[in-house]
Amino acid sequence: MAGIKIYHLYPEHLNLYGDRGNMIALCRRAEWHNISIEVIPVKPGEKMAFSHCDLLFMGGGQDSDQQMVAEDLKKRSSELSSAVEDGMVIFAVCGSYQLLGSHYTTGSGEKIGGLELINLYTEAGIKRLIGNAVINCSLWNPTKTLVGFENHAGKTYLGPELQPLGQVMIGQGNNGTDKTEGAVYKNVIGTYLHGSLLPKNPWLTDYLLEKALAYRGQDFHPTTLDDSLEQQAHNAFIKLAGSKKHKRLGTRA
Amino acid sequence: MRNKSMHSYKAGGFFSRLFKIKFLAGLWTGKLLLIISRLSGRGGTTLPGRIALKIEPKLTSYLTSLLPSGTLLITGTNGKTTTSALISGILKEAGYRCINNQSGSNLAWGVASSLVAGASLSGHLREDIAVMEVDEGALPGITGSMKPRGITITNIFRDQLDRYGEVDHVLQKIRTGLDLQPQDGFEVINADDPSLTGIQAGQHKRRWLYGLELDLPKDTFENTGRDMKACPHCKKELQYEKLFYAHLGHYSCHSCGYKRPKPDIRLMETRAEQDGTTLLKIELPDEVAEFKFPLPGTYNLYNLLAAVATAKALYIPTPLVASALEKSVPSFGRMEFFEAGGKTIIMALIKNPVGANEVLRTILYENDDVNLLVAINDKIADGTDVSWLWDVDFEQLGLEKDSFSSLYASGLRAWDMAVRFKYAGFDPGQVTVEENTESAVKSALEVTPPDSKLFILPSYTAMLAIRRTLNRMGLGKPYWEE
Repeated sequence: MAGIKIYHLYPEHLNLYGDRGNMIALCRRAEWHNISIEVIPVKPGEKMAFSHCDLLFMGGGQDSDQQMVAEDLKKRSSELSSAVEDGMVIFAVCGSYQLLGSHYTTGSGEKIGGLELINLYTEAGIKRLIGNAVINCSLWNPTKTLVGFENHAGKTYLGPELQPLGQVMIGQGNNGTDKTEGAVYKNVIGTYLHGSLLPKNPWLTDYLLEKALAYRGQDFHPTTLDDSLEQQAHNAFIKLAGSKKHKRLGTRA
Repeated sequence: MRNKSMHSYKAGGFFSRLFKIKFLAGLWTGKLLLIISRLSGRGGTTLPGRIALKIEPKLTSYLTSLLPSGTLLITGTNGKTTTSALISGILKEAGYRCINNQSGSNLAWGVASSLVAGASLSGHLREDIAVMEVDEGALPGITGSMKPRGITITNIFRDQLDRYGEVDHVLQKIRTGLDLQPQDGFEVINADDPSLTGIQAGQHKRRWLYGLELDLPKDTFENTGRDMKACPHCKKELQYEKLFYAHLGHYSCHSCGYKRPKPDIRLMETRAEQDGTTLLKIELPDEVAEFKFPLPGTYNLYNLLAAVATAKALYIPTPLVASALEKSVPSFGRMEFFEAGGKTIIMALIKNPVGANEVLRTILYENDDVNLLVAINDKIADGTDVSWLWDVDFEQLGLEKDSFSSLYASGLRAWDMAVRFKYAGFDPGQVTVEENTESAVKSALEVTPPDSKLFILPSYTAMLAIRRTLNRMGLGKPYWEE
């Protein structure tokens, strides 16, 4: 049986927006596809050998934790960077996504250094970008939609050659202006979308599993799964996110 | 205790008269709106207060200044409604006349609406004391206008993040609220919650602490808010000698020495009685008392202790407290029971992971033949982000999937809930999806076998809708008539 190791980074600190749901989705779908999966929770300061890791999952954190997480991770940044170049899979959400870039500029102009794994940077915004989001994602041909909920104050800007995860159809995306959402570099995927993201976008879950297997030199032999429930939830979400009536009535009990 | 700040205008002077006119205009407009919204079949919980405050912003502070025994505010993530109801019950037993707000209408407008509804046309309140549950975010504003003599805080858990952002932010609101309270007032807080005991006590304020001294079975539920188990002072991980649920327990910090303070009100023992109630042995500062308490769940023990501590702070004799608590009934949407032709409906609001996990725990006490309907909306009052559903440990139910004879997912986010059930370990074939809550309730009740229970777990606005459905079916009363 094919098998992969998932490193779950700082689960006690990075778990803000239902990140548990992403882990549940990865584990369940691996099980349904007959992929054995081992989840290794990593605590701050703990030794970890990236050579054993196939997929690194990083969730969102509270502001107060973010600094600690950044400092701890920076000690591992060269190791991380070579694993990324080799094709290790990273899936990073919200605060962790910002951390992948070169820096974060706070409201007072202070620059906090990032991991410099991918070419992007983030600036503190004044208004939080909150709400349902739908993006058109070109990881597949033809493209597929991804749906989620975004809630971030930071505005992220991608370097010129960096590919976004998708084009915003509904919502704000990376910065509310350039219609991009998330970023993809090799097998690193960063995104502001949660909700949780993976359960309602099962094709992305399978994509991550497939890439992690490939990194371990194994083929992905997917089982044909009945994803009709996930698909219905996905479709219902798109309908709701685009509904003006839902938005208007949302303020009323 | 009586707040005199509103009486600074010279009697009969121009400003005094102008205030009176604006005040009465606000009050009467509010009252009119209240009648209109009730006639249209809604509770009218925010609009009347909103408009009344627009006309006279000092309406709330003026009306509360008329109360001879002042104001009590109850806040915290979970347990506000039940704790407020328990405190009001005790006060009524002690002969006070209380004015309360409706559950859920706990922002400034909702509190003002309740005062508008209670005031006479000439702008007087006949009550002695106001007992208001207040949203954590609204605590500073409402404290500023109502000048409460007592603030009771239940706990701080993660709530709807789309509204308040992070827990740090909520704690900041609570700190500000406590700072704005008059210095001769008192505060009642949960000793088992390190995020609360970490708040510096006001210099002259009396702080009452309550906590559990029980040995409970190990908590098997996974609560994701574990980042709150950090020392409030040095941020190192706290060590727990006892952990009741989430981050509530007996904690100490090995790094800086901070530890759980000894509570004034301590629950020493519980014993289940034949009639389904629980007998509690509670140690108070000057006595040990026994209480009979009908509400289930560990979380309700905390609610009870908060109420007992508040009663102590108000010098209410213990026998009156005991006789009031014995008569407690579940509050609005909190494990409420409805009898429907031999079938029992049990409705419990769910709104955040820790609270929802406590509700799931009580469902797991049922052996088999469980019928469950979860209805999730994503309006503002529910939280527009439903990702919290993934932090609720539905896996615990999934492990017992064969005990479920029917399973419904409903509400605007019915499909999200259905996916949640699937990933929690249920067979997709077990789940019936019916977005319309009225059809879902009727259908779920129909398939529930006679003499069985149907659990309904709605988010906030789904609960309001389901109550309307149940009312139309002749079950329960509209909430503004209770």
